[in-house]
Amino acid sequence: MYKPIISIIALPFVWGACVATVPPPTQRMADAESAERSARELGAEDEPAAQLSLKLAQEQTDQAKAAMAANDNATADRLLIRANADAELAVAQAREKSAHLAKQDAAKDSATQQTTNASQGAAQ
Amino acid sequence: MKNLRTIGISALTLAMSSACATARPPADLVTARARFEDASRGAAAKLNPAGMHTAKEQLDLAESSFAADGDTQHTRDQAYVATRKTELAVVVARTLQAQQGEAGIVDAMHADQARAVAHTSAELGRAKTQLNVQNVALVAQGAALNDEKARREEAEKRAAQAAADLARFATVKQEARGMVITLSGSVLFTSAKWDLSPAAQLKLNDVANALTKEDPVSKMVVEGHTDSQGAAAYNQDLSQHRAQAVRDYLVTRGIASDRISAQGLGSSRSVADNASPEGRANNRRVEIVVQPAAQ
Repeated sequence: MYKPIISIIALPFVWGACVATVPPPTQRMADAESAERSARELGAEDEPAAQLSLKLAQEQTDQAKAAMAANDNATADRLLIRANADAELAVAQAREKSAHLAKQDAAKDSATQQTTNASQGAAQ
Repeated sequence: MKNLRTIGISALTLAMSSACATARPPADLVTARARFEDASRGAAAKLNPAGMHTAKEQLDLAESSFAADGDTQHTRDQAYVATRKTELAVVVARTLQAQQGEAGIVDAMHADQARAVAHTSAELGRAKTQLNVQNVALVAQGAALNDEKARREEAEKRAAQAAADLARFATVKQEARGMVITLSGSVLFTSAKWDLSPAAQLKLNDVANALTKEDPVSKMVVEGHTDSQGAAAYNQDLSQHRAQAVRDYLVTRGIASDRISAQGLGSSRSVADNASPEGRANNRRVEIVVQPAAQ
């Protein structure tokens, strides 16, 4: 009869011990914020796909900050894992946009050059 | 009793966990699987195998979390991250593709530019060679013209000099057949004879000097002419002998024998009226025809 009572009393202590052993995820927080900054600098806000990823990263980073403030480091940590994945993706999407723009510029330059060469009679 | 309860709790726990394991996967995991399947059939598998490997490892974490603990927050988080890792691999692959495309275009541009430059410089080279050849031809032409001019001037000067010298003791005329030096028959010969008097020889010395000094190459013909008195055959014979005598004397004075020949023409080519003594005197003559030198 007394055993379930002990269990019920012990359970919050065990959980509390677990929550207390998770240290504040400061490194993950720093990583996420750094990646978000990179994404913004690479122009993620001008590219719809990158903008969405960046927005998700920022939202989850904000939620993680709130969780840390409430001493819920475990929740903050898992939110930051997600935020990092989104921020990393936002950086890559911004880079992809730049690569496409560079390719378009090259194609334009190439067309200009071909026209110039042709008009100089040297394109054969 | 206590043991039975323990067993019962264990059995319940086992049943619950196996129920979790066979439960429907969370939407995050379904998405992660589908996204990965899709990506592994695309270009990313070839262009970004490292990124796809990372995505696969992340998906495996989600799957093992789901297999062990079922639809937990941890499983959803791992699946969420797996979807992002897969998307990342795809985006990086597309970026590589774009960069390779750009590099290809740039390489092609460089190659085009190099071809254009090579073509232009080859054309310049050809133009330069052509100019050089034209230049050489022009210089050669100029030199040839100068040579030609010098030769003509030389020839004209020689001819003028010879004419001036001869004019002092004989009549000199320029005719189509060449320069004609007319020596009076009465000065050279006594009537009906063809041997040269000493006075005639002196005169011919000057002619020979002029001809050898001023014009060492021209061919010449000595023509004997008579008036129309007497038989034509006789006149022909006399004119031939006289021409021959002059020719032979000029050869002894240094004119090469192959340059000079003799011809008797009798009275066939009168230059004056045979009815008067003066006319007849003019007709009795020896002409030295200097043919223009072949230039």
